[in-house]
Amino acid sequence: MAEKKHGIWVFGDYRNYFQNRVTIQLISRARELARQIDAEVSVVVLGSGIDEFVKEYIAHGAERIYLTDNPRLAEYSMETYSFLMERLARREKPEIILIGATSFGREFAPHVAKRLGTGLTADCIGLDIDESGLLLQRAPSFGGKLLAEVTIPERRPQMATVHPGIFQELPHDSTRTADIVNVPMPENMPPDRIRIISKERRPLKQEKNLECAKIVVCGGRGMGSKKKFAKLYELAAMLGGEVGATRPVVSLDWADREALVGQAGKQIRPDILFSFGISGAMQHTASINNARFIIAVNKNPNAPIMKMADVAIVADASQICNSLISELKRRIRG
Amino acid sequence: MLKLVVCIKQVPQVSELPWDPDTGRLQRELASGIMNPACRFALEAALKIKDKIGARITAITMGPLSAEEVLREAIALGADRGILLTDRKMAGSDTYTTSFTISKAIQKNIPEFDLILCGASTSDSATAQVGPQLAEELDIPGIAYVNEMEIAGSKARVRRMADDFFETIELELPGLVTINASGAVPRYTSMRGFQAAFAESDIITLDSVSLGLSHEWIGAKGSAAKIRRVYSPTAGKENVVLTGTTKRILDQLFMLFDDRIGGMIGKDLKTDKS
Amino acid sequence: MFFNPSMKHKALRKALRMFAETEIGPMARDIDRNATFPWEIVEKMRPLDLFGLQAPKAFGGADMDSISYAIVIEEISRVSAAIGLCLAAHNSLSLHPILRWGTEEQKKRFLPEMVRGEKIGAFCMTEAGIGSDVGGVETSATLEENEYVLSGTKIFVTNGGICGTAIVFATTDSHNPREGAAMFIVEKESPGFVVGEKEDLCGMRANPVSSIYLEDCRVPDKNMLGLPGEGVKIGMETINVGRIGIAAQAVGIAQAAFEDAVVYSKARQQFHKSLSSFQSIRNYLADMATDIDAGRLLLYRACAAQDSGNPFREEAAMAKLFCSEMAVRAANKAVQIHGGYGCSKEYDVERYFRDAKVTEIYEGTSEVQRMVISREVLNRRV
Repeated sequence: MAEKKHGIWVFGDYRNYFQNRVTIQLISRARELARQIDAEVSVVVLGSGIDEFVKEYIAHGAERIYLTDNPRLAEYSMETYSFLMERLARREKPEIILIGATSFGREFAPHVAKRLGTGLTADCIGLDIDESGLLLQRAPSFGGKLLAEVTIPERRPQMATVHPGIFQELPHDSTRTADIVNVPMPENMPPDRIRIISKERRPLKQEKNLECAKIVVCGGRGMGSKKKFAKLYELAAMLGGEVGATRPVVSLDWADREALVGQAGKQIRPDILFSFGISGAMQHTASINNARFIIAVNKNPNAPIMKMADVAIVADASQICNSLISELKRRIRG
Repeated sequence: MLKLVVCIKQVPQVSELPWDPDTGRLQRELASGIMNPACRFALEAALKIKDKIGARITAITMGPLSAEEVLREAIALGADRGILLTDRKMAGSDTYTTSFTISKAIQKNIPEFDLILCGASTSDSATAQVGPQLAEELDIPGIAYVNEMEIAGSKARVRRMADDFFETIELELPGLVTINASGAVPRYTSMRGFQAAFAESDIITLDSVSLGLSHEWIGAKGSAAKIRRVYSPTAGKENVVLTGTTKRILDQLFMLFDDRIGGMIGKDLKTDKS
Repeated sequence: MFFNPSMKHKALRKALRMFAETEIGPMARDIDRNATFPWEIVEKMRPLDLFGLQAPKAFGGADMDSISYAIVIEEISRVSAAIGLCLAAHNSLSLHPILRWGTEEQKKRFLPEMVRGEKIGAFCMTEAGIGSDVGGVETSATLEENEYVLSGTKIFVTNGGICGTAIVFATTDSHNPREGAAMFIVEKESPGFVVGEKEDLCGMRANPVSSIYLEDCRVPDKNMLGLPGEGVKIGMETINVGRIGIAAQAVGIAQAAFEDAVVYSKARQQFHKSLSSFQSIRNYLADMATDIDAGRLLLYRACAAQDSGNPFREEAAMAKLFCSEMAVRAANKAVQIHGGYGCSKEYDVERYFRDAKVTEIYEGTSEVQRMVISREVLNRRV
């Protein structure tokens, strides 16, 4: 591989690999950006016994891997990782560093940016190269009401954390190859002032709270019957979300009063809302306005909710619900 | 006596933000300022420590003169004194210069602090970066997204959720924590507290001169990130209509949106893996 | 002249609004529908000193200026007028007379528990036969050794169902009730103090407005507030102070109605446009906004007048008269803007409509306010 002057780095955030796709999504985008500035895409991987992730990253498009494999790095450690990343970046001088906006990434990136004396844009939902070859970052503020276009004109590397689910990953291709650069642990590591006493996996869905739920499946009379409506609970469970209902459904006793989404019920603000068989009366739609992404299913293409939705599916709600459950069963890995 | 520092930001009240989705213009000047919710939780965490083992709490904020209001509110809730960092030249700071400016104020005024508490993230810019960067500036250990904490001697023990992991962590003091806006509702201000805070309060005001900061290093001038443009995303919301057989609809849905949906539900939705 | 709120008043409003919306908001509709009083809210309001807003620090009060007081009542009433009424009746009608006319001994005995909210105050004046015409009071107070024996029935007592300490208006002279009228501080535990049935009202439903039966109720003679014969004076001046609380309530209700009307008119579409695009709706909103602002200014002017120490009868009456009638106008328009939904209990505006109406009646009907104002106006040498 020809020696390219500048590099775009992606931090390998491999924890929760099957749910957490952001690293490979960033590798894909990084390759597209790299073409525009004549750069190479490298992934920085720090850990212990992480060969499988290295292979995954290469198969998904990494051109170079900087690897530090050491038992001391068996768990993510903010201070140690910040030290190592700073050291490597000062040595190799990348042009751009991209880090997925997981909780770890969002804490790790500012530490590294401050150490390197450079700028950092948080939770980007868009990355491009502008006319002068700078990384053009698009980031939300005010809960997404505003978007800002940001550049880091002078300092290097240009750093950004990126929201998961924005970019499409490249398909897995085991014929891809990459340079693997082993970076040994230095002798003079400063002691860790932070000690992890215990750590346990607790998948996030703890409370059944419709108002805070990031994923909501709402159903209306268009579902047809109590039995068909009940399938929504299965769909919600697969997606890791909560079930909401309209007033007619609650009075028909297809759902609890607690599930009412509407003027006299709950206001919801999910990242994604699936709306099945709901026409979209005012009392209901006023309570779903803050949903980020709405997929609505209704036989009637002119139902008010269809205009509000990002995706309007003209079909029988119950049929789509059942088929969606089968399709998701087929597709979800892990 | 334990010395705690609480960093507070005054943010516009988003619900009443005069907002024109057609032009994307946000009239920030018109919205009233409130204490950032996560900062309120950080203050509550400090007050709980003060209630339990005693502490002297300094509330610090960087903003226009009107930001004094959040310091008064902090004092009404139980902070002992406030520091207002205000200067035209501080305007337009990114998180790099904000953390730099605040660190200088802390080094000058509360050099022997034990613990700094910040809100995890603000309701306006929501970068969640100032806390970690402040820890770096002061060369102290920092932990973000804390839910609960106790002080035990020269260490702090914290519990937090991060990426599906529930962790119990021990931090050497002096240190820094950022607190999530979640859990038990923080205390409300008593009327007596209000009266006292607005009658007579220990609030000092510092500008770049009193902090000894050169203009090159602060505000928009010192910022590494430059904002080129601000605009509204709502203009041009897609409305994709899918029709046809069930199979066709689902194929299209996943073809167009599998990453979007997968990303939002935190699951991998591809079937074509080798 | 006051035209811009101070930093303190701005901060106070935000803090109270946050408390009211978070703690009272979720239950506001249900407590109105079921006419239940939420004790858990009392427990949350007590540590915030809401039961001793203008009481001196020496008794544990917050010693607030009247504008601050008004802001508290406004913001609580904006979320639940019934709870706002509880605070207004307690602070203005029960705490205030003890503070103003009580002996040091009486203050020490009664104030601390009331200021802490351990005992909620209620003002017992209205009887079946006396509404506006207080000179016809029938509840008698007969001196027997060192006790007064009170006998009579009080109706429409705000906070009646939850009161710990009542201020009772009675007369020591049945033949000349006005001349013998007196005020008594009566604790709920007094023998013969019976809390009667709760009223089923159209508005302020969560407030336990009840009848109080004084069945040979015995109170120590040192519980008389002021002197025999001062009853009417104390009563009238107390009600005058109370007018500020009611005006504040009305402004809070109007504000809530207005905000809901704005939100609805932007969201609702007809003829392919939002309601807020139509001039007739815009006119309603402009009128409401102006009305509310005018009411607020009259209210704060009355507050400033009270704090100046000078008589403020006219200012208080004007504020109460204008704000209550304004709240009814605003709530009426809000219901109208909501169309059919305005009549539905799914939305809050019909509650504002019912609550607003009550403000035109209690603590001096609009007719009485006009009596007071016209008297002041005619007394002036033009």
